[in-house]
Parts: sequence; C-alpha cells; structure tokens
Amino acid sequence: MRFDTVIIGGGLTGLVAGIRLQKAGQNTAIVSSGQNALHFFSGSFESFGEPTRELADLFSEAGIHLHYKEGVRLMPMGTFRPSALSLEDISLFPKPQFGKKVLLVNIVGYHDFFSSFIAQGLEEAGMDVRIRFLNLTEMGIKAPGEMRSVQLARTLDRNWEKVVQEVRLLLKDDDTVILPQVFGLQDASIPGRIRQSLPAQVVFAGTLPPSVPGIRTLHLLKHRYGVLGGTYLMGDEVVQAHLYEGVVHSVVTKNLGQHYLEAGTFILATGSFFSKGLSSTPEKVYEPIFGADVSFLPDRNGWYNPSFAEKQPYIGFGVCTDGDLRVLKDGAPLSNLYAAGSILGATHPELGTGAGMCLRSALKAADSILSGPVPSHSDNSPCHSDNSPCHSEQSEESVESQA
Amino acid sequence: MKPNEFDVIIIGGGITGAGTQRDCAMRGLRTLLVDRSDIATGATGRNHGLLHSGARYAVNDAESGAECIRENLILRKIASHCIDPSDGLFITLPEDDLGYQATFVEACRASGISAEIIDPDLARRLEPSVNPEIIGAVRVPDASVDPFRLCAANMLDAKLHGGQVRLHTEVTGLIQEENTIKGIHTRNRLSGEEKDYYAPVIVNASGVWGEQICRMAGTRLTMFPAKGALLIFAHRVNNMVINRCRKPSNADILVPGDTVCIIGTTSSRIPIEECLNVAVTPEEVNLLITEGAKLAPGLLSTRILRAYAGVRPLVSEENDPSGRNISRGIVCLDHETRDGIKGFVTITGGKLTTYRLMAEMATDAVCRKLGVDKACETAVKALPGSEEGSYEEVARKIWENPSTGQKAAASRMGSRVSRIRSEDRRDEALVCECEEVSVGEVNEAIDRMDVNSLTDLRRRTRVGMGTCQGEFCACRAAGLLAKAHGCVERERKDVASFLQERWKGNFPIGWGDTLREAEYTQWVYKNVLGL
Amino acid sequence: MKYQEYTVSPHNFEECTKCTVCTVYCPVLEVNPLYPGPKQAGPDGERLRLKDPAFFDAALKYCLNCKRCEVACPSGVKVADLIQSARLKYDHSPIKLRDRILASTDFMGKMVRPIAPVANLVTGMGVTKTALDAILAIDRHRSFPKYSGRSFEFWLNRQRKEQAAFPQQVAYFHGCYVNYNYPQLGKDLVKVLNALGVGVQLLDKEKCCGIALITNKMTKEATAHATHNVAVLEKAVEKGLKIVTTSSTCTLTLRDEYPELLGVDNSAVRDSVLLASRFIYEKLEQGAALPFRKDFHKKIAYHTPCHMEKLGWGVFSEKLLRMIPGVEFTLLDSACCGIAGTYGFKKENYKTSQAIGEPLFENIRTVNPDVVACDCETCKWQIEMSTGYPVQNPISILADALE
Repeated sequence: MRFDTVIIGGGLTGLVAGIRLQKAGQNTAIVSSGQNALHFFSGSFESFGEPTRELADLFSEAGIHLHYKEGVRLMPMGTFRPSALSLEDISLFPKPQFGKKVLLVNIVGYHDFFSSFIAQGLEEAGMDVRIRFLNLTEMGIKAPGEMRSVQLARTLDRNWEKVVQEVRLLLKDDDTVILPQVFGLQDASIPGRIRQSLPAQVVFAGTLPPSVPGIRTLHLLKHRYGVLGGTYLMGDEVVQAHLYEGVVHSVVTKNLGQHYLEAGTFILATGSFFSKGLSSTPEKVYEPIFGADVSFLPDRNGWYNPSFAEKQPYIGFGVCTDGDLRVLKDGAPLSNLYAAGSILGATHPELGTGAGMCLRSALKAADSILSGPVPSHSDNSPCHSDNSPCHSEQSEESVESQA
Repeated sequence: MKPNEFDVIIIGGGITGAGTQRDCAMRGLRTLLVDRSDIATGATGRNHGLLHSGARYAVNDAESGAECIRENLILRKIASHCIDPSDGLFITLPEDDLGYQATFVEACRASGISAEIIDPDLARRLEPSVNPEIIGAVRVPDASVDPFRLCAANMLDAKLHGGQVRLHTEVTGLIQEENTIKGIHTRNRLSGEEKDYYAPVIVNASGVWGEQICRMAGTRLTMFPAKGALLIFAHRVNNMVINRCRKPSNADILVPGDTVCIIGTTSSRIPIEECLNVAVTPEEVNLLITEGAKLAPGLLSTRILRAYAGVRPLVSEENDPSGRNISRGIVCLDHETRDGIKGFVTITGGKLTTYRLMAEMATDAVCRKLGVDKACETAVKALPGSEEGSYEEVARKIWENPSTGQKAAASRMGSRVSRIRSEDRRDEALVCECEEVSVGEVNEAIDRMDVNSLTDLRRRTRVGMGTCQGEFCACRAAGLLAKAHGCVERERKDVASFLQERWKGNFPIGWGDTLREAEYTQWVYKNVLGL
Repeated sequence: MKYQEYTVSPHNFEECTKCTVCTVYCPVLEVNPLYPGPKQAGPDGERLRLKDPAFFDAALKYCLNCKRCEVACPSGVKVADLIQSARLKYDHSPIKLRDRILASTDFMGKMVRPIAPVANLVTGMGVTKTALDAILAIDRHRSFPKYSGRSFEFWLNRQRKEQAAFPQQVAYFHGCYVNYNYPQLGKDLVKVLNALGVGVQLLDKEKCCGIALITNKMTKEATAHATHNVAVLEKAVEKGLKIVTTSSTCTLTLRDEYPELLGVDNSAVRDSVLLASRFIYEKLEQGAALPFRKDFHKKIAYHTPCHMEKLGWGVFSEKLLRMIPGVEFTLLDSACCGIAGTYGFKKENYKTSQAIGEPLFENIRTVNPDVVACDCETCKWQIEMSTGYPVQNPISILADALE
C-alpha cells in the first residue's frame, strides 16, 4: 500500500501531523501500536504559547475547543500550576484563589478523585470548602461495576441532568462548584451544559487516569482524521524499515507482514519509553525501528536522579535530528524521515516540553514535509541537548565525532 | 501501676521484639514495645523471606541447622498464613563438586533435616525454571515466609494479650539507678513528644542497633553489620526455593515470595553508621543477576522490580572480614550475670526462622528475673490468622465463589479476612490493583495495625509492592488514610515520600519495562496529578 | 555477558505498565459487573495465578475474547490471550452439554445438513426455541443459523475441472458457516476470484477452525482440530498455494490462536493464510482489474468485526468497498456487536450481549445504510437480529457489483 506520508505513532503528535497533511491534500496513513498518552492527558498543552489561527482551526474543525489564557489551573492533588493553552474543560484562573465559598462534589465509592487533597489546597489558597458526596444508588443511578473515571463517565453522561439536580440541592451560598472530570466522554457538549445549568462557577478537576477529556480529544481527532480520508491502522506496529542510501522506502508492520507500507515521507512519532519509541537495556538507550541516533548518557548512573521529585535525566533522552527534524542515523540525516513528539526528548529545548512540544513538533514536521524535500547540506548540529552526547547504536565512531 | 509502668519493655519492633512481646504477653506480663521506626524495618524486612530448613547451615553449623528445622516445623503450624510451604532444592551445577552432595546430605540428616537426593530429571519437572544443566539435586523442606505479615501477626497477638505498642518512638536514653536499668527515655519521631516508661526488665531486641543500646547501659556488644543486597523479580519464576549445593556464597538462593521471587545475597561488612542508608551498587546488581541466572536462567530475561539491601545483625566473635563464618546462632545475654547490670537482657544474632526460639529464650530470662513461672505456649498456639486451614478454604467459608481479590485477601490475612466481610460492595473496590488489596483490607489495617503512613501500610497489606510500585494505589490509599486520621496535609506529603521510597528501589535496576513504568509514574504524578 | 536485553513472559504480561487503557475498551466491563475486567483478569491476575493456580477466578468466563484490550494495549500485552489461556489451563469446571453443542459447529453441520429443511423448521419453531431456552439455556431470542441442503464442498467439487483451468490457483478455507449454512458466500468468492483469473480449490478435508471449542475450553478437541488443519494447510502451501478465507474469526484462529492459545506451531503456513479481501486487494494493486457493473448503487456501512480489528486487515475490506463504483461508504465507529461467536447464544449472556452491541446498533440506525458490510458471520446474525438491516460479507457485495 502506498501513501504520501506514513506516520508511525497515533497519539497527539501523529494525529495532528496527519490531519495537517490530509488538509494539505496528502494521502496518509497512521500506524498506531495500541492506544496512546492522550489517555493520561491533563488537558493543558504545557509550554505552548498562543495558538495560531491554523492550529485553532485544526482543533475546532475536529470539534475540540481550546482556550488560551495565561493563568493557573487546579491540579488533582490540590496544587496549582501555571498553564495557558488548554481544552475548554480546563478552567484557567488569574490566581489560585478563584472563589470564596466552594462546594466540592465527590461520588461515594469513587477513590480516584482526591477531594480532601483538593480541599486542603483550596483552603491554603484562602477559600472556604465544603465536601459533599453524591450517592448514585440513592439518586437512582446504577453505579458501574468498576469505579474508574471512564466507566463513571459513561454512566454519568446518561445521567448528567440528575447530577445537576442533586448539586442544585446541595448548593447554598457557594460561588463555585468543583466536580470531577468524569463528564463528556462521548458527548463533548456535556461539560458546557453542566456549566450553564448551575448558578455558580463550575470547575472540573482532574482524576487518576484514564483521562476523560483526553480520551474524548483522541476520539475527536481520530474521527476528524478519518473524515479527511486518512487511514488509521489501529493496534499495528512497525517492526522493520527498509532503507536505501539514506532514504526510507517502506516499513513492515506486524499485522500486514509482507504487505509493506510505502511512502514518500515518514514521520516517527512513536513517543518515549512508555510507548516504546525508545527502548533501554542496562547498557544503552536505542530507537528500535530505524536504529536512529539517540542522545543519552553512556553511564547508566547518570540516567536517574535518586530523588523522585527532581527532574530525571532519562526523560530528556531522545532521537537526534537536524534542524528540520529529519532523523539522524550514524550522524547523517535520513532524507525523508522526520521525528516529532516525545521521542525527541529534550533534544530540542526550543520546542518546549510535554503536549506543547508534541503540537509544535508535529506542525513543524508536517510543514517541513509540505515545503518539499530540501536536500540537506547539513549544518549537522545534531544534538541540541545540553549535556547528553549523541550515541548511536550502530556506529559508536561516527557518533563520537559529533559529540 | 501507673499507665507508663510495665512488667517488661521491649526495644525493637523487628521479628525478635514482636515475638518476645507476644511470648511475654502470653505469659501474663504487661508489655510495651517501642521502635524508632515501623515494624520490620531492619533486618526482619530486608532479607529473602526464606524459612530455612536448616540445610544451608547443616554442614558448618549443625546446631543452627537443628534449630532451624525444629522452628521451621513449628512455624508451619502456628503461622500457616505467613508461610508458603514450597520446599527447596539444593542443586549441583557442572562447575560444582558433586562430591559435596554426600557431605551435605549426611550433615542434614545428622541435624534432623530431611534431605532427599532426587534425579535431576525429577528436579527439572518439579521446578521447571531450574537451570537445566544441573547434575544433582537434593530436596529439603525449605519454605518462604512473609516477614512483615509474621511480625505484624506477632504484634497483633501481643496486643490481643494486653500488650502496648509505640512505633516511631526512639529510645533516647536508659533510666538507670546505679547498676539497675529502670526504664527508658523516649521521643516520638513524628510528634516530637518525649516520654519515660518504666519496667523492672528491659529487653534489647534492636538488632544491629543493639550495640548502641548496650552502650547506653554502659556495656559493650560488638555487632558485625554485614550488608546483603537482593533483587526482587516482578513475578514468580520459581515455585520452589532454589539453593546451590556448595559452601554458602554470593547470590545462591532464589526464593519465591508471595507474587514475586527474590535473589540474594551479597555479603560485605559496613560501618554501623551506614546501616540506615544502605544502597545497592551497580556491581552488586550485576553480580546478583549473573550468579542468579545460574540457578534459574530465566532471570536473565525477567523484569526486575526492585533492588534493596539489608544489614544482618551478626554478633562479632572473631576476626572475619566477610562475616560468612560468623555463627548465625542465637545470642541471649543476661547483663546481670555478664556485666553486673540488673534488669537488662539483650537478645540478638539468630535469624528470621528461629525468631520464636529467640523470643522464648529472652522471655525465659525475663520471667526468671521477675520470678514468674509460666510455660511458653508460643510453639503450640496459632497466630491470629493462622487458626483455620488454607486461604482457599477460608475464602470459601465466607464467599460462595471467591474472586481472585478475595482469595488474595484471604492469603494475606488468613482467617482474619472474615473481618473485612462486608455487605457493602464498595469495600471490595481495589486500592492496589497489582496485589489486589481492597478498600476493606486497607481500612482494617488502618484500624488495628498501627499504620501511620503509606509505607507502614505497605508492610501490612502489600499495597504498592506490585508491578506498578505505587503508581495508582499511593493516592487511593492516602485518601483512605487522610480520612481515617483526619490529617490531609500529612498524607499529601506522605504520597511524595512513599513514591520516593519506591523509586529508591527502582532506579538501580531502571531499564526496560521498569524504566517505562517509572516514566509513566513520573507523568502521572507530576503532569497529571500535580504532586 | 549480556543480560536483561529484553524480557520474556507468558503473552508479554510483564510488559504491562498498569496504565488501565485496556479497561477503557473492554465492552464487557461496561455492562457486566461480575466481570473483573481485562486488567484484573489478565496481567494482574496472572501474577497471582503464577503463585498458585487456585487464584483463578471463574468469572473469567465472561470474557468475550474480542481482543479489543489487546488492540488497545500500548505495551503489546496479549491480554485476551492471557485470559483465554488461563481458562484453558485452570478452569476445570465440567463443560455443559449446551456448550458442547454450540462449540461443535462442524459436527452439527454434518449431522443436520441432510435433514436441513426439517432442522431449520424445528430450530426455528417457537416451541423448540422455548425448549432450547429451558433445557439447554440457549436464549430464545436467538435463531439458529439456517442449514443449507447442499454443502459448499459438494458444490465446488462438482466444478473441480473448470476451476483447475484457471492460470492461478488458491485453496479456500471456507469454514463451517459457508459449508453448511451459507454456501452462497463461497460461490460469491469463486465468482470474484474467477473474474481475476484465479481458480479455487478445496483443502484436503479441512475441519472447523475450532474457535468455539477454544472459548468453550474444550482444549483437547481444539488442539486436535488445530493439528489437523495445520497439516492440511501445509500440504496446500507445499503445492505453492495461498489459502484464502472469508471469515475474519477463522483467519485469526488459524494464524494466531493456534500458536498462542493451543501451542500448535503454524509457522510454516501462517503467512500464507489471507483473508480474501486482502488477497483481492493485492491482486488489484498489482494491476489486475474487475469488471464492475455501471448501474450499481449502494449505501454501505462497514462494521469492523473485533477479530478483524485484531488482524488489522479491515483496511483491505474498506478500500475494496470504496473502489466499487456507485458505493456510498461509511466506516462505522469501531465497536463490538456483542455476539462473540457462541457467547451471545448462551442464555446467561443474552442481556450482556445486547447491551454491548447497542452503541453499534444505534450507529447503524443513524447511518441508515442499504446494507451493512462485515467479514464475520456471527456479527451478521447479531446485527440482522438486532437492527433488521441486511448484512453482507464484502466479498458478496463485490460479487453483486460485478457484471
């Protein structure tokens, strides 16, 4: 099967790049080995500034509404974090004290929403908090067998009006109601409708994963990609690549076997360790599909900070690319393979971190592809990492010379 | 008697202290146990969890071997819910001297340990994970024991017999009048509260810290702190204990313990100041994996969960740089006869397997001093939880079709699982999914087992001991603790220190799936939850 | 010495990072509170079962074996395989007569076919259905698939000569459904393949693939079928033949369930077993052409069966259908129909089965197609019974669209 571009990795990065390319008239495929990190998405695109018109359109055409405001958002442990570009669900405040009297609503038997921690945080920020519990059984709602965010959301999406009714009864002179993020899994309009139906400011606070807004975002992006004619190969995995003279010709997948996927360009958006974009052994960190150059510290003792709370060096490891995000192998760029998303680690600090970096690098890779292959006379500034020398699995020598 | 006066005070909440408190309490004494930290934080909780048959010691130390087998057989009865009667193999590899096998078997038999030479083929069938190249195998009655559960059960029984327990309570000095010890000065390390307790007899059961306590009493005891590093694999590779049939050496025991298996150990003497902060080095990790793979080659490609190290509280008797030749025998010192200090007994040395015997010896000494004449019953009376048959029978008595989680609870709590029988299905929701620990079980532990923190909870319930190492359960359990104790702020910090404690054991083996898991945990707590 | 380069564990269970994604996609967890869910039943339970088989939970029987957990898993854990092999290994409860009957699809076919009209009449009658419901606990809402008077094998045997005349040859693993219940699908395949210059042969006495034996934990019988079939397939492969199929479930069973669940080595034949839609797509890609009618008009909604999702080959059926001139194509959201082979036939599962399928049925009603296309016979029964819309295999639609 032949495509203009084959994207390896079906998470936020792959989908945004795919949608961007489909919109530009390309015929693309995404190979996604299982589900992705949007299932643990906090709802904020950290480190992304004000969105361009193009990006805002890309999302709103998919039915995802973003808002941008520099401020703080409430975290599930009751802390606050500076945030800006976020899903509409996420409330952004100029300062932590966003209300005076707060009604914090939890659900009996639900252990993944930490109302007492949130209450503590709000009290520290100077708010009065009351915690109340909804008893689904007493409300005539059949509780799901497993009390996880997603199961709860499926139940509550059918019963959100009953929840509103019950919360109305609990409301006294509170100016703010906080609810867990367990609404609007399939129907994106529900959080907004709840907001409109209550006579107080409504804030949705996060839960333990899976993330309800994250999964909804994923499904909307995926649906949009399909509508644009993209081919999403779910649950398949690229196991091998065919390269010839610095050009990727095709990739082999687990499910399609001898039916190769051919394309003019490829995007490597396989994520970091969690999604197996990067693999590690006691001796090395490597990129398993292309054997791309990876920047990592050769001494394993340097991979970790013994303090859990501190920044962990291993999370900064990533594949090396040139300035156009073309992937380096043995020190030289592969002319039609671009990397984007978490697989970059911290090798491009200017792209930011987390979901913000995924967006930025996805757009950048797509733009590089659309602006046509420019033969690289390589400025060969392969690694932008501050401290990690590049290490290629294949050829230690060529790598040393870059470092 | 005033509330701060007791018949006997036991310093140390390890297995020796807990066992001694149980024995004393069962003989009718009013007991207090104090520990600077939680239960089983020293050597008790930092070993293989091997219930020795005695075979390992039979050749060099027949007395220890004989003690082990006697106690092994007793504990199988009185502590059945803490023990997995797996049996063990002593294997001979092509590089080992098969001639040692005969010496070994003869020594075992002399100590009363059943040791049966079996065909290597049979050994491979009994334990499919064993190195297929074995040229000899001996079957012995080794077993595995959960030291945390055993320690908690002893302490619980002591409490049921009127004993009192003060954890996180450090002994800052001894109350001494001339040559008599009358009590202890303590400071609570959580609240800072200082308090004195009095008793005519003080038992020093503080393991490697026994040296310091003796110094407070004005006498000398030289400990030989020997560090041993171990690795926990993420699931059971073997279901029988596997040992090398040769002189004891590095990484030659692989023990199946609960849902995991453990390879160990190394042995190196360390200064006593380092005992609180022993770290596992990359060289030790390397050695444990490569040597361990000789017992079961599957270890080379099995996910590793944690690395940890413990310090053996050996008593120094001779100049031995490795500590391997030191007797693991029991040392029970009546300081009155030894040093002329009245009201002071030290019980140390020994091993997990012989804790009950050590407790009996210490309690006998206490009773002699107090003039109490009552027989020891700890060898015949079952610990709370061990009164009724297997966990499956226990579970079936309560639930018609017990789920995996209910059976798991029964396997941890024994007959005490009936306490969490609840009509409310919400209590069955899982806090820890890897080990299948329910809300009901966590609440029961919080209610009755002196739980101050998530780490304390882990020792009593296995919350956070599974594959994810606290990824999901830490917050859920903290929520329950916050509710029970009404201390939200403390619990928020507790989550952070729990994750730190887990990470400490993860990063020395941070590669492959363990690193993937660690990265995921970082995301969840830092980006999603905002810890 | 190299150590810890990779890890090995049964069905990759140790690669589970406990991320909970599988629980989002399990259709049973949604509707059946007795089911512990894929994470508990799969990798979590496996650790306990390795300690002691007594930890096996009888509630694992509620698993549909739809494999959606596996498709979703970002870590490559074969969750459903873990659950099914635990059932095969540890569930020693006696097998009910009803389950034996349901599982023995080819035996039933052989016995009933000669008396097909009577059998169809009898199994279709209200009284019989009530009796089946009461005595065998086969739900009364279900209709047994009708038995055909002449088997497909009989039909194809009669035109052996004509088929042998085609320049290219394939062997057809038709499965029980085509042979006994619906020979027309086989005839449609022959028509399409003949139009491409490909002749169709029977295998040397295939047996039922055995999926129903596996899910009804009849391990011995299933293994006997697997061993027989692999031998038969090997004979065909040795002759240089590809093996085509028209059922996604038979295909998955032959390719993946044999080695994963039964330990039957099929490595010599696995890559030669192809779903007809993939085989045809590849022919067309290589330049072959089909003579399509000009007056063909159909609104088609394509449902990807669960096992097709797992195979990752839905893309071939989809692209083939889109190729047909005059087709208005909609890809239905990926969802389980709830029947899962013999699962939905059991009285105790009827409600669960229908509840699982509801989102799909709703989706179909909204699209309101002329026909629903899908590559699985049991999905066909379920969708036809539950929605009233006709369901056709893509191969039959293709055959209809030919001149």
